[in-house]
Amino acid sequence: MTDHQPIFRLEGVTKSYGQVKALRDVTLRVAGNEYISLLGPSGSGKSTLLRVIAGFEAPDSGQVFFEGRDITHVPAHERGIGFVFQNFALFPHLTVFDNVAFGLRNGKAPEPADLDKRVRDIIALVGLSGMEGRGVHQISGGQKQRVALARTLVMAPRLVLLDEPLGALDANLRHRMRNELRAIREKLGVTFLHVTGSETEALAMGDRVVVLDHGRIAQFGKPDEVYGRPASPNVAHFLNRYNIFSGALEGSTFTGPFGAIGVSGGTPSDKPAYAIRYDRMTVEPAGAPVAGPAIPATFVASEYLGSSVIYFFEAADGQVIEVEHHLSLGAPQSYEPKAQYLLRWRPEDAIVFGPGVN
Amino acid sequence: MESRVLKPILAVYTALFILFLYGPFFVLAILSFQKGPEGGPQFPILEWSTYWYRHIFGLVPPSRIAPLPLGEAMFRSLTLAFMTMVTSTVLGVMSAQAFRRKFKGSGFVFYLIVLGMMVPGVLTGLGVSLLANNVLGIERHWWSTAFVTHVVYTFPFAFLVMLAILNRFDPSVEEASWSLGVSPARTFRKVTFPLIFPGVLSAMLFAFTLSYDEFSRTLFASGRDQTLPLAIYGTFSVEIHPNVFAFGVLTTVFSFALLAVYALLMSLSVRRARKMAVQEDIA
Amino acid sequence: MSDTALPAASVSSGNSKSAWLIVPGMIWMLLFLVAPILLILYVSFWTQTTFKIEPTLTLQSWKAFFGSDTYLASLWTTIRIWLLVLAATFIVGYPTALFVGLFVKNKTLSTVLLVICVIPFWTSFLIRVLAWRPMLGKEGAINIILQKFGITSQPIEALLFTELSVVIGMTQIYVVFMVGPIAFMLGRIDPNIIEAARDLGAGFGRIFWKIIFPLSLPGVIVGAIFVSVMVLGEFATAAALSGRKVNLLGNIIVTQVGSLKWAMASVAGVILTIVMGLVIAGFLRIVDLKREL
Repeated sequence: MTDHQPIFRLEGVTKSYGQVKALRDVTLRVAGNEYISLLGPSGSGKSTLLRVIAGFEAPDSGQVFFEGRDITHVPAHERGIGFVFQNFALFPHLTVFDNVAFGLRNGKAPEPADLDKRVRDIIALVGLSGMEGRGVHQISGGQKQRVALARTLVMAPRLVLLDEPLGALDANLRHRMRNELRAIREKLGVTFLHVTGSETEALAMGDRVVVLDHGRIAQFGKPDEVYGRPASPNVAHFLNRYNIFSGALEGSTFTGPFGAIGVSGGTPSDKPAYAIRYDRMTVEPAGAPVAGPAIPATFVASEYLGSSVIYFFEAADGQVIEVEHHLSLGAPQSYEPKAQYLLRWRPEDAIVFGPGVN
Repeated sequence: MESRVLKPILAVYTALFILFLYGPFFVLAILSFQKGPEGGPQFPILEWSTYWYRHIFGLVPPSRIAPLPLGEAMFRSLTLAFMTMVTSTVLGVMSAQAFRRKFKGSGFVFYLIVLGMMVPGVLTGLGVSLLANNVLGIERHWWSTAFVTHVVYTFPFAFLVMLAILNRFDPSVEEASWSLGVSPARTFRKVTFPLIFPGVLSAMLFAFTLSYDEFSRTLFASGRDQTLPLAIYGTFSVEIHPNVFAFGVLTTVFSFALLAVYALLMSLSVRRARKMAVQEDIA
Repeated sequence: MSDTALPAASVSSGNSKSAWLIVPGMIWMLLFLVAPILLILYVSFWTQTTFKIEPTLTLQSWKAFFGSDTYLASLWTTIRIWLLVLAATFIVGYPTALFVGLFVKNKTLSTVLLVICVIPFWTSFLIRVLAWRPMLGKEGAINIILQKFGITSQPIEALLFTELSVVIGMTQIYVVFMVGPIAFMLGRIDPNIIEAARDLGAGFGRIFWKIIFPLSLPGVIVGAIFVSVMVLGEFATAAALSGRKVNLLGNIIVTQVGSLKWAMASVAGVILTIVMGLVIAGFLRIVDLKREL
């Protein structure tokens, strides 16, 4: 991405609700004209972070900067930051047109002379032309989300915060809206900060991905970086694509359920862990001669995903191990339930986490 | 089983119970059509007539039975009810709005407000009279001392209604408005208020009728000029005539008319919402 | 704890400070409710002469109250009428609440029945009191019906202008405050519990005493508090239906204020407040409402 002046910046933002620490010392800089996805499981503080940026919640400490200005104490309506809600939060007593025109009509600036054209243009942009006169109860969920988006975009904000905007839509629509959101953003050149609990959504949509873990930023990088080199065992866990083994790391030897394996380098982390992506494991018959690391496991079930198949195995200690087989690499295999197999991987595909490694 | 026997018994009992609640009023309504001016406030009905209704409006020749002193009392009661309605609804909306955010001592304030509807009218009436008469040394009037005690009584109702409405209110529409650059004050006018309006209507209805019928507080606090309930109460001690019954019917009809107007307004807004829902199905 | 639940719990009013909105309502209640009630306590110790009252503190009115048979009698009458009406509203109201809350399975029907019970509350209180006069009088509806069916040969005169008529009138006016809370609690009982008990072979009587009644008790207490507060503060029904024979503390206050005996009215007011406080505290001891509701 380009090295713009950061459009917004968080410096050491902390926020607690009673005993619960929602955000711990969050520092983040985001350049302009970017699609940022913010990934985190529920409870990670991702919605709180968004609400602090929007000005709906005040941080306990730390500062929020927007376009170079400290807005920590600026009320929400004077920030000029757009917000799209998961439940759409449309004004139920207004029509589609009036919803979109609401900000232009009631904001601090006088009502623009070309209000009608601006509203119609943005309604056209989100593909809702002809629905201007409808009440917001008369349109579908996907259309509601478009109205919510149009209502925000018509104010021409430089930053739009989207709080799980696709969460209330069905799977089909969610997929289509992903592409539309990206296209609209690119057309307008605004920065989107999109909060989601879905790792596929985060990876597919973001130019860069922020991963939030217990109120802290665990990783901030391009999707392929995050996907290929998760910064912590928890990030690897959120990505939902890694078998993570716990164990002990001593020197350059990791001892896990698969025995002791020599490792070289790794990612620093508080607790030692050994992660292998689902699609980097291969299934061999039990007792097959393998060079390199392997773990015996019992086949449980398989799940067909279209372009790939996921096989579920159970290791001796009860841990479920998932193996993904891309169909482009060959036809799916069928395995015998409750039969023993050997799962192997190349040592260089594993990611080792541990204190003191680098 | 036993419940098969019990259920019809309880159903009959409930019917009798409802008769117990409504019976006296029906008897009163029947007797209001007693012949006048000779007929008394008891059975048998000598002859059906609307004499006592005409008596109320002064449409019959003068007789030994004086007309009820209602005209000015009615005006005072309506004015007082209107003042009370506006004040307690405004206070109720404001207080309930404040309660959306937890603040220090909110529990205490909640009980302080609700106390207003729990404390018997004798006590608030006496207390406010003492305040006016013995501390401030001012005269009591229906528009001053009676008015403040009425609000003490009706404000808690308005507050509770608004609290219930605002509890179900989705705050994200307000946040959406702020994020569009609309100030909190204008957001309240343009978004919050239109959405809570049905609740405001209910609060107004409560406040108006409670004040219009209020008696015990007013008795102490209203001074010389009587409100409608006081005028009625005045007739209790003397011999009663069917004109009081006729008036009872009229005032009940008035209360129900208010209720009907309210129901109409509410059903209009509900129907508007339903019409939208139907069109959604078509679309 | 879910991510989205966090902000919702801390009701968001953005940066706007809304706490000041409570101030006008609070001031109103402090000035016109709390201060006047404290004033009643204060004035009860003032010195009363025939037509004047002075803020010199004395126990004169208190001594007069407890030295007078009339006043003490009114205290006992208040307590007696309260207990009678409380019992009557409970006995008359409970079966209806049982039917509406438990036996009517159709939610719409039970709501309609409750609304029917509440509607009279919508009409003028005084008219409802007054309506009992042609019912209970010597030539009233009840006596006419009783004689017509040959149940009595002579009209019963004890119906009107007695303690009985006051109790009947108050019961009719306040019973709905007993029915509502009880029906609400009964409506919340999980039918499966009753079904399960029935499967175990329990008869209705046993189910009622072991399950239904205990579960409805918080409703009974709430209803009892409503009824108690209103009956204890009554005077109009007693004045209209007893022919001034029944004098409650409320009636004492009215007549004392009428003759400008502010100190004595205040003494009666303080005693009334104390009685009410004791009654409510007593009820709240029976059931921990915060836990039950």
